[in-house]
Amino acid sequence: MNDAVIEIHGLVKTFRDFWLRPLASALRGVDLTVGRGDVFGLLGPNGSGKSTTIKLILGLLRPTAGEVRLFGLSPRSRRARARLGYLPELSYLHPFLTARETVLYYAGLSGLDRRTSRERAAELLSRMGLEGSADRAVGGFSKGMARKVAFAAALVSHPELLVLDEPTSGLDPLATRDVKELIRTLAAGGMTVLVTSHQLFDMQDVCTRVSILSQGKVVGEGAVADIVAASADPRHALEDYFAAAVGAKEGNPA
Amino acid sequence: MKESFLLALRAFMRGRVALLLLVAVGLIHWLMPDFVRSDGTASGILEMHVRIVPGFAAAVILLTVLSTSCGMFARERELKRLSLTLVRPASAWGVVCGKWLATTVLAAAAIALSSVLVLAMPPALPGQAGVPPCRHHYEPTLPPPAVVAGHILGGYLRDPATPEAVRKAPKRAVLALLTTKEMDRYDVVKPGETMVWPFDVPRLKRQMEEGAELTLRVRFSTQFELRTPVAGILTLGDMSAVVSNSTQAVIEIPLARTGKGDGVPSPLNLTFANTGRSAVMIRPRRDLVVLAPADSFAWNLLRSQIEVWSLAAMLAAYGLFLSAALSRPVALFTALVSLAVVLMAPSVVAQFPDEFNASFADRFGLWLSRAVQSATHSVSAPSPITDLATGRAIEGAELLRTLAGNVLLLPGMLLSLAAFIVRRKPFADG
Repeated sequence: MNDAVIEIHGLVKTFRDFWLRPLASALRGVDLTVGRGDVFGLLGPNGSGKSTTIKLILGLLRPTAGEVRLFGLSPRSRRARARLGYLPELSYLHPFLTARETVLYYAGLSGLDRRTSRERAAELLSRMGLEGSADRAVGGFSKGMARKVAFAAALVSHPELLVLDEPTSGLDPLATRDVKELIRTLAAGGMTVLVTSHQLFDMQDVCTRVSILSQGKVVGEGAVADIVAASADPRHALEDYFAAAVGAKEGNPA
Repeated sequence: MKESFLLALRAFMRGRVALLLLVAVGLIHWLMPDFVRSDGTASGILEMHVRIVPGFAAAVILLTVLSTSCGMFARERELKRLSLTLVRPASAWGVVCGKWLATTVLAAAAIALSSVLVLAMPPALPGQAGVPPCRHHYEPTLPPPAVVAGHILGGYLRDPATPEAVRKAPKRAVLALLTTKEMDRYDVVKPGETMVWPFDVPRLKRQMEEGAELTLRVRFSTQFELRTPVAGILTLGDMSAVVSNSTQAVIEIPLARTGKGDGVPSPLNLTFANTGRSAVMIRPRRDLVVLAPADSFAWNLLRSQIEVWSLAAMLAAYGLFLSAALSRPVALFTALVSLAVVLMAPSVVAQFPDEFNASFADRFGLWLSRAVQSATHSVSAPSPITDLATGRAIEGAELLRTLAGNVLLLPGMLLSLAAFIVRRKPFADG
């Protein structure tokens, strides 16, 4: 049995203009493998190709060359999408829906029946500490609360793979701690998590493996435990590793 | 589909689009007759009540449906919500259909309100019903104008005396010209002569056998558009009427039974025996209609509003298709421009039937208008509000044809394309 949840081979993505002339090369041959149960951090400076990689994994973009497989399937296949949860960088929720309706809406889109959806929504909203606000419109929620609703929506279908794009972006320290705790809990339950972030301390806390992208290529990859073990300053191990990898690629001293 | 439908419905209700539309329709019915004065005659007041007010309300509803649907996917993409839907296992077709269904429900609610208000607020017309009578309109059973045009062209081409310019002219253009001419062809009935037009309509025959009271709507003309006395006898089966009127006006003549009791002949013909002193002319495709009683105004209102709703359904699908492919302002602009082109095309074709002496630009415009007219005929041909105002019963077969085109066929194609674009559009969320 293949235990890889995400397999990426020679992934190239070139954006083109209306006349199909190349505009920008976002990815130039990326290879990645994310195993079952990993909390995999996809790191990189702005413009390194993280978001493009995520969109290719989610099946929202088509690769120019190379291949992405989710659970051995095409990411555009319905069976692969049924096993996937996604939290985008910003919580793009419908402001007129209540928290409960939001979670039920995504449960319905994931094919859950009415009864299971209701139970799951109640369970997740309670887990996120939103029982008291479940029937309020999310348009009036704070950023942290909206993030929790989006998290609940991403988890509603019991996904095997959770893709988190900047999950702690814009959150206060307490909310950030809650999110990290949640990721650890989910991983402990056997869920595979792919997470992107610029918060390297947070990533060091939660990730088991990381891959560093720069200028559309993988410039470093390894287990966080190994990176920490090899570092002279374990508190800043990932930061140093990131700086060394990206600096070497971009020609800057680490 | 269900989730997408409920989401769009909630957006209409909680985003106040539905409320605003219903209030607007209510205000149009309530205030418009006071603000836009009719000419004060009974027919003018009736015109205001059954044509202008519901027509304006229908226009507002259709434009709201179009503008709302034009923003649906475009707005989702702008607000970066589309990716959250597309990563779920739901089918894009279901998502598109759900949105379309919700828009048609919004249109149905507004149209239903408009219909109820038409019935609930009849104008006070002393000694007259507040609504026009509803009647079946039967026209002569003539071969289609394009077929007649084809025969005429065939005759021209076989005739050695036909000028070379006609032979060399593009056949499509000549056919289009001859078709237009055939629509307006006059039959001339000289004094002492009799002219016959077939009216072999099974339903008319049935109604005649059941003893329905028939009326003939006719307009006699003269060559020089002068008012001239006209006299003669009109006969349809075992019914007839004596004509004693003048030319140029549309007149309605009740047909009376002759008492022969011969039943309805087959084929059924309408004959006009000219007993006057002047030759009179009749355009059989435009000036001759047999009117027979149909069901109530309320039923015709229902059928006309179903046709309006079918237009709304088609426009909603068109808006969604544009919304899937374009940004919101571009989609709305494209929708409005194409709507204007569709509405203007029949007028352009009617106004410029002769393209042989036209410039290249005019010819191109005419060609484009003809193409648009023939491509959108099923959408632009029904005129539900005019039918309601003129008391023309919308026939069941006609309604089914409109529904099949505007609710099934065209939306099916447009929504499938929209779903394809939503799934394939490369910059899913920008």
